[in-house]
Amino acid sequence: MSDPIDPLDHLRLPIVPVEPRAGFAAALLRRIEDQEEPASPRGATVRYFVDDLDAAVDFYRDLLGFEEELRPSPAFAMLYRGDLRLLLSVPGEPHAMPDGTFPEPGGWNRISLHVAELDAIVADLRDRGARFRNDISVGVGVRQVLVLDPAGNLIELFEPLAGYHERATSPVR
Amino acid sequence: MSARDKPDEVDPVVAIYPRALPQVHGYLLPRCGSASVAEDLTAETFMAAVTANRRENPPVLTVAWLIGVARHKLVDHWRRVGREERGVAVAEGGCDGVDDPWPSHLDTEAAYAALAKLSAPHRSALTLRYLDGLPVAEVAAMLGRSVHATETLLMRAKAALRRVYREGEGS
Repeated sequence: MSDPIDPLDHLRLPIVPVEPRAGFAAALLRRIEDQEEPASPRGATVRYFVDDLDAAVDFYRDLLGFEEELRPSPAFAMLYRGDLRLLLSVPGEPHAMPDGTFPEPGGWNRISLHVAELDAIVADLRDRGARFRNDISVGVGVRQVLVLDPAGNLIELFEPLAGYHERATSPVR
Repeated sequence: MSARDKPDEVDPVVAIYPRALPQVHGYLLPRCGSASVAEDLTAETFMAAVTANRRENPPVLTVAWLIGVARHKLVDHWRRVGREERGVAVAEGGCDGVDDPWPSHLDTEAAYAALAKLSAPHRSALTLRYLDGLPVAEVAAMLGRSVHATETLLMRAKAALRRVYREGEGS
Protein backbone atom coordinates (compact mmCIF):
# COMPACT_ATOMS: atom_id res chain seq x y z
CA MET A 1 0.00 0.00 0.00
CA SER A 2 2.72 2.46 0.93
CA ASP A 3 5.81 2.89 -1.12
CA PRO A 4 8.68 1.88 1.18
CA ILE A 5 11.06 4.35 -0.43
CA ASP A 6 8.62 7.26 -0.56
CA PRO A 7 10.80 10.20 0.54
CA LEU A 8 7.78 11.92 2.07
CA ASP A 9 7.57 9.17 4.71
CA HIS A 10 10.16 11.30 6.52
CA LEU A 11 7.42 13.86 7.12
CA ARG A 12 5.78 11.69 9.80
CA LEU A 13 4.98 14.03 12.68
CA PRO A 14 4.60 12.37 16.09
CA ILE A 15 2.32 14.11 18.56
CA VAL A 16 4.27 16.29 20.96
CA PRO A 17 2.00 17.52 23.77
CA VAL A 18 1.56 21.30 23.77
CA GLU A 19 -0.24 23.01 26.64
CA PRO A 20 -2.59 25.65 25.28
CA ARG A 21 -2.99 29.05 26.92
CA ALA A 22 -4.14 28.69 30.53
CA GLY A 23 -7.10 30.98 29.91
CA PHE A 24 -8.26 28.88 26.97
CA ALA A 25 -7.85 25.63 28.93
CA ALA A 26 -9.89 26.96 31.86
CA ALA A 27 -12.64 28.40 29.64
CA LEU A 28 -13.00 25.13 27.71
CA LEU A 29 -13.21 23.12 30.94
CA ARG A 30 -16.05 25.39 32.12
CA ARG A 31 -17.84 24.85 28.81
CA ILE A 32 -17.52 21.08 29.21
CA GLU A 33 -18.74 21.14 32.81
CA ASP A 34 -21.71 23.34 31.89
CA GLN A 35 -22.81 20.70 29.40
CA GLU A 36 -22.92 17.92 31.97
CA GLU A 37 -26.33 16.43 32.41
CA PRO A 38 -27.72 16.40 35.93
CA ALA A 39 -29.14 12.92 35.53
CA SER A 40 -28.89 10.32 32.86
CA PRO A 41 -31.06 7.29 32.09
CA ARG A 42 -28.11 4.92 32.10
CA GLY A 43 -28.09 3.92 35.76
CA ALA A 44 -29.62 1.02 37.62
CA THR A 45 -33.28 0.61 38.54
CA VAL A 46 -34.26 -0.82 41.93
CA ARG A 47 -37.78 -1.63 43.14
CA TYR A 48 -38.74 -1.43 46.82
CA PHE A 49 -42.08 -2.56 48.20
CA VAL A 50 -43.72 -0.20 50.68
CA ASP A 51 -47.01 -0.25 52.57
CA ASP A 52 -47.57 3.52 52.68
CA LEU A 53 -46.63 5.17 49.39
CA ASP A 54 -47.02 8.77 50.58
CA ALA A 55 -44.82 8.21 53.62
CA ALA A 56 -42.20 6.45 51.51
CA VAL A 57 -42.09 9.16 48.83
CA ASP A 58 -41.80 11.85 51.51
CA PHE A 59 -38.95 9.95 53.14
CA TYR A 60 -36.89 9.37 50.00
CA ARG A 61 -37.53 12.87 48.67
CA ASP A 62 -37.19 14.95 51.82
CA LEU A 63 -34.60 12.99 53.77
CA LEU A 64 -32.45 11.28 51.15
CA GLY A 65 -32.51 13.83 48.34
CA PHE A 66 -34.41 11.79 45.73
CA GLU A 67 -36.43 13.59 43.08
CA GLU A 68 -40.00 12.49 42.50
CA GLU A 69 -40.46 11.72 38.82
CA LEU A 70 -43.90 10.07 38.62
CA ARG A 71 -46.72 9.04 40.91
CA PRO A 72 -49.32 7.80 38.43
CA SER A 73 -51.32 5.73 40.92
CA PRO A 74 -51.72 5.34 44.68
CA ALA A 75 -49.63 2.18 44.44
CA PHE A 76 -46.64 3.28 42.42
CA ALA A 77 -44.02 6.04 42.33
CA MET A 78 -40.78 6.59 40.45
CA LEU A 79 -37.91 8.57 41.96
CA TYR A 80 -34.39 9.43 40.88
CA ARG A 81 -31.18 10.11 42.70
CA GLY A 82 -28.55 10.85 40.05
CA ASP A 83 -28.32 7.73 37.88
CA LEU A 84 -30.30 5.56 40.30
CA ARG A 85 -33.99 5.07 39.52
CA LEU A 86 -36.02 3.88 42.47
CA LEU A 87 -39.46 2.34 41.94
CA LEU A 88 -41.77 2.20 44.94
CA SER A 89 -44.69 -0.22 44.77
CA VAL A 90 -47.47 -1.01 47.20
CA PRO A 91 -47.97 -4.81 46.97
CA GLY A 92 -51.23 -5.73 45.26
CA GLU A 93 -52.81 -8.21 42.88
CA PRO A 94 -50.40 -7.56 39.99
CA HIS A 95 -47.53 -8.64 42.25
CA ALA A 96 -49.10 -11.91 43.39
CA MET A 97 -46.97 -14.97 42.79
CA PRO A 98 -48.46 -18.19 41.37
CA ASP A 99 -48.30 -19.77 44.82
CA GLY A 100 -50.39 -16.95 46.26
CA THR A 101 -47.65 -15.09 48.12
CA PHE A 102 -47.19 -11.33 47.87
CA PRO A 103 -43.97 -9.37 48.06
CA GLU A 104 -43.52 -7.46 51.27
CA PRO A 105 -41.24 -4.69 52.49
CA GLY A 106 -38.08 -5.38 54.44
CA GLY A 107 -35.35 -7.93 54.15
CA TRP A 108 -31.62 -7.42 54.24
CA ASN A 109 -30.80 -6.44 50.66
CA ARG A 110 -30.44 -2.70 50.20
CA ILE A 111 -29.39 0.11 47.97
CA SER A 112 -26.14 1.72 48.97
CA LEU A 113 -25.75 5.47 48.69
CA HIS A 114 -22.42 7.28 48.62
CA VAL A 115 -22.58 10.38 50.81
CA ALA A 116 -20.15 13.04 51.89
CA GLU A 117 -19.78 13.73 55.63
CA LEU A 118 -21.61 10.70 56.96
CA ASP A 119 -21.62 11.88 60.60
CA ALA A 120 -23.33 15.16 59.75
CA ILE A 121 -25.91 13.44 57.58
CA VAL A 122 -26.73 10.83 60.21
CA ALA A 123 -27.15 13.53 62.85
CA ASP A 124 -29.40 15.50 60.51
CA LEU A 125 -31.52 12.45 59.66
CA ARG A 126 -31.90 11.54 63.35
CA ASP A 127 -33.07 15.08 64.08
CA ARG A 128 -35.66 14.69 61.36
CA GLY A 129 -37.03 11.47 62.79
CA ALA A 130 -35.35 8.83 60.62
CA ARG A 131 -35.05 5.36 62.13
CA PHE A 132 -31.66 3.64 62.06
CA ARG A 133 -31.02 -0.10 62.22
CA ASN A 134 -27.54 0.37 63.70
CA ASP A 135 -24.87 2.93 64.50
CA ILE A 136 -22.10 3.92 62.12
CA SER A 137 -19.71 1.02 61.65
CA VAL A 138 -16.39 0.66 59.88
CA GLY A 139 -16.23 -1.85 57.05
CA VAL A 140 -13.63 -2.56 54.38
CA GLY A 141 -12.83 0.78 52.78
CA VAL A 142 -15.99 2.46 54.07
CA ARG A 143 -17.86 3.77 57.10
CA GLN A 144 -21.50 2.89 56.83
CA VAL A 145 -24.86 2.92 58.55
CA LEU A 146 -28.27 1.39 57.86
CA VAL A 147 -31.30 3.64 57.82
CA LEU A 148 -34.86 2.32 57.52
CA ASP A 149 -37.54 3.75 55.29
CA PRO A 150 -41.04 4.03 56.80
CA ALA A 151 -41.92 0.56 55.47
CA GLY A 152 -38.83 -1.04 56.99
CA ASN A 153 -36.65 -1.32 53.88
CA LEU A 154 -32.96 -0.74 54.48
CA ILE A 155 -30.82 1.92 52.85
CA GLU A 156 -27.10 1.82 53.39
CA LEU A 157 -25.31 5.16 53.59
CA PHE A 158 -21.54 5.06 53.24
CA GLU A 159 -18.54 7.30 52.98
CA PRO A 160 -15.20 6.10 51.60
CA LEU A 161 -12.13 5.43 53.73
CA ALA A 162 -8.55 4.74 52.63
CA GLY A 163 -8.53 1.70 50.35
CA TYR A 164 -11.98 2.42 48.96
CA HIS A 165 -12.32 1.36 45.35
CA GLU A 166 -14.73 2.34 42.62
CA ARG A 167 -14.29 2.26 38.86
CA ALA A 168 -13.24 5.76 37.86
CA THR A 169 -15.40 5.92 34.74
CA SER A 170 -18.04 3.59 33.35
CA PRO A 171 -16.94 2.44 29.90
CA VAL A 172 -19.69 -0.19 29.68
CA ARG A 173 -23.16 1.12 30.33
CA MET B 1 -29.64 16.25 52.05
CA SER B 2 -28.38 19.14 50.00
CA ALA B 3 -27.36 19.44 46.38
CA ARG B 4 -23.74 18.75 47.24
CA ASP B 5 -24.72 15.21 48.23
CA LYS B 6 -25.67 14.28 44.69
CA PRO B 7 -23.61 11.34 43.46
CA ASP B 8 -20.23 12.77 42.62
CA GLU B 9 -19.49 10.61 39.61
CA VAL B 10 -16.86 12.42 37.57
CA ASP B 11 -17.84 13.15 34.00
CA PRO B 12 -15.53 11.08 31.75
CA VAL B 13 -14.73 14.08 29.56
CA VAL B 14 -13.77 16.12 32.61
CA ALA B 15 -11.72 13.19 33.92
CA ILE B 16 -9.63 12.78 30.77
CA TYR B 17 -9.37 16.52 30.06
CA PRO B 18 -6.10 17.37 31.90
CA ARG B 19 -4.26 14.47 30.25
CA ALA B 20 -5.83 14.75 26.79
CA LEU B 21 -5.82 18.53 26.32
CA PRO B 22 -2.07 18.94 25.56
CA GLN B 23 -2.19 15.88 23.30
CA VAL B 24 -5.14 17.09 21.23
CA HIS B 25 -3.76 20.61 21.08
CA GLY B 26 -0.27 19.24 20.31
CA TYR B 27 -1.74 17.22 17.44
CA LEU B 28 -3.66 20.15 15.95
CA LEU B 29 -1.28 23.07 16.38
CA PRO B 30 1.58 22.05 14.04
CA ARG B 31 -0.86 20.63 11.48
CA CYS B 32 -3.09 23.65 11.11
CA GLY B 33 -0.31 26.17 11.67
CA SER B 34 -2.51 28.72 13.43
CA ALA B 35 -2.86 29.12 17.19
CA SER B 36 -6.41 30.43 16.96
CA VAL B 37 -7.56 27.69 14.56
CA ALA B 38 -5.87 25.08 16.80
CA GLU B 39 -7.82 26.41 19.80
CA ASP B 40 -11.11 26.41 17.90
CA LEU B 41 -10.61 22.84 16.71
CA THR B 42 -9.45 21.70 20.16
CA ALA B 43 -12.65 23.11 21.66
CA GLU B 44 -14.77 21.48 18.92
CA THR B 45 -13.07 18.14 19.62
CA PHE B 46 -13.86 18.17 23.34
CA MET B 47 -17.42 19.41 22.81
CA ALA B 48 -17.90 16.52 20.35
CA ALA B 49 -16.75 14.20 23.15
CA VAL B 50 -19.37 15.69 25.49
CA THR B 51 -22.06 15.03 22.88
CA ALA B 52 -20.82 11.51 22.15
CA ASN B 53 -20.75 10.75 25.87
CA ARG B 54 -24.49 11.41 26.06
CA ARG B 55 -25.36 8.77 23.49
CA GLU B 56 -26.99 5.52 24.49
CA ASN B 57 -23.74 3.62 23.91
CA PRO B 58 -21.03 6.18 24.54
CA PRO B 59 -17.53 5.49 23.22
CA VAL B 60 -14.74 4.58 25.60
CA LEU B 61 -13.02 7.92 25.94
CA THR B 62 -9.30 7.66 25.26
CA VAL B 63 -6.68 10.08 23.99
CA ALA B 64 -6.55 8.04 20.76
CA TRP B 65 -10.32 8.45 20.29
CA LEU B 66 -10.01 12.21 20.84
CA ILE B 67 -7.12 12.45 18.35
CA GLY B 68 -9.32 10.65 15.82
CA VAL B 69 -12.05 13.25 16.38
CA ALA B 70 -9.48 16.06 16.14
CA ARG B 71 -8.36 14.64 12.79
CA HIS B 72 -11.95 14.78 11.52
CA LYS B 73 -12.26 18.36 12.77
CA LEU B 74 -9.05 19.26 10.92
CA VAL B 75 -10.36 17.73 7.68
CA ASP B 76 -13.66 19.60 8.14
CA HIS B 77 -11.69 22.81 8.67
CA TRP B 78 -9.77 22.32 5.44
CA ARG B 79 -12.98 21.51 3.63
CA ARG B 80 -14.37 24.91 4.72
CA VAL B 81 -11.11 26.62 3.75
CA GLY B 82 -11.24 24.79 0.41
CA ARG B 83 -14.70 26.17 -0.29
CA GLU B 84 -13.47 29.69 0.45
CA GLU B 85 -10.43 29.18 -1.76
CA ARG B 86 -12.61 28.29 -4.71
CA GLY B 87 -12.69 31.21 -7.07
CA VAL B 88 -9.31 32.30 -5.84
CA ALA B 89 -6.79 31.04 -8.38
CA VAL B 90 -4.72 28.37 -6.71
CA ALA B 91 -1.82 26.98 -8.68
CA GLU B 92 -2.34 23.24 -8.51
CA GLY B 93 -1.72 21.54 -11.83
CA GLY B 94 1.17 21.57 -14.16
CA CYS B 95 3.46 18.90 -12.84
CA ASP B 96 1.44 15.76 -13.53
CA GLY B 97 3.53 12.98 -14.88
CA VAL B 98 6.75 14.92 -14.70
CA ASP B 99 9.35 12.84 -12.95
CA ASP B 100 10.88 15.39 -10.62
CA PRO B 101 12.78 13.38 -8.01
CA TRP B 102 13.05 14.51 -4.41
CA PRO B 103 16.51 15.29 -3.11
CA SER B 104 18.13 12.41 -1.24
CA HIS B 105 18.09 14.44 1.97
CA LEU B 106 14.68 15.97 2.58
CA ASP B 107 14.70 19.18 4.62
CA THR B 108 11.59 18.38 6.65
CA GLU B 109 11.16 21.90 8.05
CA ALA B 110 11.24 23.31 4.52
CA ALA B 111 8.79 20.62 3.43
CA TYR B 112 6.36 21.52 6.27
CA ALA B 113 6.67 25.19 5.27
CA ALA B 114 5.93 24.27 1.64
CA LEU B 115 2.97 22.13 2.75
CA ALA B 116 1.45 25.14 4.53
CA LYS B 117 1.35 26.99 1.20
CA LEU B 118 -0.64 24.34 -0.65
CA SER B 119 -4.38 24.38 -1.33
CA ALA B 120 -6.64 22.91 1.34
CA PRO B 121 -7.35 19.59 -0.47
CA HIS B 122 -3.65 18.98 -1.13
CA ARG B 123 -2.68 19.94 2.38
CA SER B 124 -5.33 17.74 3.85
CA ALA B 125 -4.39 14.69 1.77
CA LEU B 126 -0.66 15.00 2.42
CA THR B 127 -1.12 15.64 6.15
CA LEU B 128 -3.25 12.54 6.60
CA ARG B 129 -1.03 10.36 4.42
CA TYR B 130 2.42 11.46 5.58
CA LEU B 131 2.30 13.47 8.83
CA ASP B 132 -0.26 11.10 10.34
CA GLY B 133 0.96 8.06 8.39
CA LEU B 134 -2.51 6.80 7.46
CA PRO B 135 -2.84 4.18 4.72
CA VAL B 136 -4.33 5.49 1.45
CA ALA B 137 -7.63 3.70 2.10
CA GLU B 138 -8.06 5.52 5.41
CA VAL B 139 -7.14 8.85 3.83
CA ALA B 140 -9.81 8.15 1.20
CA ALA B 141 -12.40 7.39 3.90
CA MET B 142 -11.54 10.55 5.83
CA LEU B 143 -11.81 12.70 2.71
CA GLY B 144 -14.95 10.96 1.45
CA ARG B 145 -13.31 10.04 -1.85
CA SER B 146 -12.66 6.76 -3.62
CA VAL B 147 -9.25 5.16 -3.21
CA HIS B 148 -8.52 5.77 -6.86
CA ALA B 149 -9.46 9.46 -6.63
CA THR B 150 -7.36 9.76 -3.49
CA GLU B 151 -4.33 8.23 -5.20
CA THR B 152 -4.71 10.79 -7.98
CA LEU B 153 -5.14 13.61 -5.45
CA LEU B 154 -2.04 12.48 -3.56
CA MET B 155 -0.02 12.33 -6.77
CA ARG B 156 -1.04 15.88 -7.67
CA ALA B 157 -0.50 17.08 -4.12
CA LYS B 158 3.00 15.62 -4.05
CA ALA B 159 3.80 17.31 -7.36
CA ALA B 160 2.53 20.62 -5.97
CA LEU B 161 4.55 20.15 -2.81
CA ARG B 162 7.64 19.31 -4.85
CA ARG B 163 7.20 22.50 -6.86
CA VAL B 164 6.78 24.77 -3.84
CA TYR B 165 9.62 22.99 -2.04
CA ARG B 166 11.89 23.54 -5.06
CA GLU B 167 11.01 27.25 -5.11
CA GLY B 168 12.06 27.38 -1.45
CA GLU B 169 15.33 25.62 -2.27
CA GLY B 170 16.15 28.33 -4.79
CA SER B 171 15.73 31.16 -2.34
